[in-house]
Amino acid sequence: MYIGERVEGRNNRLVVAGAGTYVDDVRPEGCLVLAILRSPHPHARIRRIDVTAAEGRDDVELVLTGESLLAAGIAIPPSGSYANFTPRMTVKHPLAVGKVRYVGEPVAAVVAHDLVGARAALDALMVDYEVLPSVGNALLALEPGAPRVEDEWPDNVMVEYPFEKGDPAAVLGATEPSRIRRGTLVCNRIASTPLEGRGLVADYDPHRRYLTCWASTQSPHILRTLLAGALDLPDSSIRVIQPNVGGAFGGKIPMFPEDIVTAHAAIVLKRPVKWIEQRHEYLPAGGHSRDVRCDYEVAFAADGRITALTTELIADIGAQSTFLGWLMAIVSAGCIPGSYKVDDVRVRLRCVVSNRGPWQAYRGYGKEVSAFFLERILDEVADAVGRPRDEVRERNFLTPDVFPYEQPSGWITDSGDYSGTLAKVKDLIGWEGFAARKAAARAGGRRLGIGIGHELTPEGSSRPDSLLSGTDSATVKMSPHGDVTVLTGVTSPGTGNETGIAQIVADCLGASLDRVRVVQGDTELCPHGNGNYSSRSLTFGGSSAHLAALVVHDKIRRVGASMLDVAPGEVRLDGHRVIAPSGAEVGFGAVAATIYRSPHARHMEGVEPGLEVTRTFKMDNVHHQPEKDGRYNQYPTWSFSTAACIVEVDEETGVVRIEKFALVHDSGMVVNPLLAEAQLHGAITQGIGASLYEEIRYDDAGLPQNLTLREYTLPGMRESVDIVLGHQSTPSPFTMMGMKGVGESGISAPAPAIASAIEDALSDLGVRLTEVPFTPARVWAAIQEAR
Amino acid sequence: MIDIELTLNGRPRRLAVDPRESLVDALRERARLTGAHVGCRTASCGACTVELDGNTVKSCCVLAAEADGRAVRTVENGAEPGELDDVQVAFAEAQGMQCGYCTPGMVVSVRNLLDRIADPDDDEITRGLAGNLCRCTGYVNILKAVRLVRDRRLGRV
Ligand code: FES
Ligand code: FES
Repeated sequence: MYIGERVEGRNNRLVVAGAGTYVDDVRPEGCLVLAILRSPHPHARIRRIDVTAAEGRDDVELVLTGESLLAAGIAIPPSGSYANFTPRMTVKHPLAVGKVRYVGEPVAAVVAHDLVGARAALDALMVDYEVLPSVGNALLALEPGAPRVEDEWPDNVMVEYPFEKGDPAAVLGATEPSRIRRGTLVCNRIASTPLEGRGLVADYDPHRRYLTCWASTQSPHILRTLLAGALDLPDSSIRVIQPNVGGAFGGKIPMFPEDIVTAHAAIVLKRPVKWIEQRHEYLPAGGHSRDVRCDYEVAFAADGRITALTTELIADIGAQSTFLGWLMAIVSAGCIPGSYKVDDVRVRLRCVVSNRGPWQAYRGYGKEVSAFFLERILDEVADAVGRPRDEVRERNFLTPDVFPYEQPSGWITDSGDYSGTLAKVKDLIGWEGFAARKAAARAGGRRLGIGIGHELTPEGSSRPDSLLSGTDSATVKMSPHGDVTVLTGVTSPGTGNETGIAQIVADCLGASLDRVRVVQGDTELCPHGNGNYSSRSLTFGGSSAHLAALVVHDKIRRVGASMLDVAPGEVRLDGHRVIAPSGAEVGFGAVAATIYRSPHARHMEGVEPGLEVTRTFKMDNVHHQPEKDGRYNQYPTWSFSTAACIVEVDEETGVVRIEKFALVHDSGMVVNPLLAEAQLHGAITQGIGASLYEEIRYDDAGLPQNLTLREYTLPGMRESVDIVLGHQSTPSPFTMMGMKGVGESGISAPAPAIASAIEDALSDLGVRLTEVPFTPARVWAAIQEAR
Repeated sequence: MIDIELTLNGRPRRLAVDPRESLVDALRERARLTGAHVGCRTASCGACTVELDGNTVKSCCVLAAEADGRAVRTVENGAEPGELDDVQVAFAEAQGMQCGYCTPGMVVSVRNLLDRIADPDDDEITRGLAGNLCRCTGYVNILKAVRLVRDRRLGRV
């Protein structure tokens, strides 16, 4: 058995040699370089773009503007439909037409012989802007008479999504004031920031009318279809190849305006063109996440049981005109109250456009926002009733017997044992007995605190009427020598699902792992699939490969048994051999040879020839027909984790140091613990980064304040934490082998756990932290306020 | 364009470079050594780390012209394709990477660290790698990889 083994990632030896091929390492002969001129203004009308000086430069091959793309017929009309709400949409332009809405919005593009020349050509472009009044955040954008980001809309609200269960107003009205708390919580803006930027190399062959794109993308097939739509080409005229990807985390789900511009330039020039994003482009314009504010009201009983909860969410989705990231806010709303049983709930979300940069998916995909809000509210309730924070969670958790459980949003949670991960993480962190440690440290002048945070991570997003649907495909084929190749529709951004899929297929076939090769990320080689996002690569990609492998397995079994002169039911497949009860055996090579070389001979009688099988897996518990069964569910699997941490707070400076961090996760059956843990380490560290160090800041006019990694500070090794992991397995009843996604687990729980621990360290002062990240300035200010 | 002469991975090499060009671009575009990566161009991420005369530098913030007459060592280090040194093997075995984009820079920094300090403790390892960002691993397995190669060299494992 390979499933459950700690198998090293298959790309490790390639990338550690420096021999990986990332998109910037792709260099077709004669490749030109494209660079983008971006808006320096949060909001401005474009009066005129003078391209003559740029076009006049010797090494410039092409200059493109919004108008020239429009003249070429390139504009992206609104598409997609939504189950429970109706967003206002606009036509999207890859290069701005008429006006710019955020700093960093693409305005024009130049194609030159190299990057130095392309940058010089950008300097030669003259844009005449009429600067417009701007709205630098959602609250300003909601003010009456605020400047409008979209001229055709009556205000800056893009979508409103309310839902209710029970009658929270009545419960709140009947609750005595001492059992009600109200407040505001804020999750500030962050960016996924993979170390490799976005990028695309496009090469057009005019003779064959065929466009080849190498893209640092998460979804080659989806990018192909979207590019074909934007460029008015047949899907079959485009090949998208995903080379090694230098991290993605949601930040490379297609499609981006620069993809269209680069591909169009290659078609116009009939030469290869490369666009590689630079960090100063990424930080303002590559897409952000979070930036949600929550005004809440909670009623509770004397024992800490929550009796009613209302939340008003305002999501600052920036200028929505380019990306689909705003759907993250819907997920934030839909995951309230998540792991907690609250019978009377009201949630109202407003997605508000502003002159900040657009959103783009990031690991957590909105669930980290609901986790932060809910956990902060739970802590506040615990303090209000004077009960321990763990006990109040226990009091409110959904219990394992209620699943499948319909959330107030209508989504259906598959399974869970939330008390289980809480109990285990308390052991790992040393919850009991911490009070004595804290007191001793305090006596020595140090402030230690302990905290917990719980997260719920619905995964495998399967949206209706969308290419991001609830299926994926795989081909399993065996060659005449018995070697196995798996082609998948899912892709890997470096997280190692190719390794996990090989383990699944090898086990299913009884094959040797080293004779199973996995090929991903090429639309001409691989069957249609959606790529990697929403932690779906093993639950969807692994399951489809398993389905295909079962068919191959069956054929090998029948032919092998015939060669051994026994019945198919009597043999077993193991170690790349078919083995009879007598111990007689025949290798897969000999069986495959028979299938290919002797299709008309005895062993193949009644057996369909060939050893190449494609299967598509569809999730069972996704529901898209509310008119038929009253159910709507886009998330098939719901992983969860509980984190606990111990922090030390310096009350003079507000600096927080994490002394110990533990997390117990439950993602059902784990295929490769080594790689699952590695992903958790990364997700937790990203969660810690967003809790203490990372924040995309804007001023009131919408000018970004972080243009380099010196201002947007990622955790480095000095900020890294010794992470202690624990596991629990509550298999999903709906997936193959009970798998659940793992890729997003661990990113949400750190912020509430750290907040809780900081408050505990300062408990005698009564400090409350309502806004993440907890930078030294914020912690220090909260201390001063409490004093 | 100007000509520079340097010792690249132990061998003399002459390159014609643009005087405005950074060392990382010259290595990647002219010498066709693409192991060094670009993550920021502001000396923040360390993906472009190489050795210049035995010291680690962020090659995005060194002009190619500055390498004239000096010795540059990259992650490739003149090895035969497919050959890994003990630092690289330890990274692979400890799963000290995911996407691998930061990894070549990490490997260069670890080689340099172990050349200077044969038996670094966790603190010294952390300081040695403080200039190399990784967005995927949380550094947990990177620390394990460095401990592993250190202990192997010292015959502890
Ligand atoms: S690219 Fe040189 S330090 Fe980031
Ligand atoms: S392995 Fe991806 S950045 Fe380090």
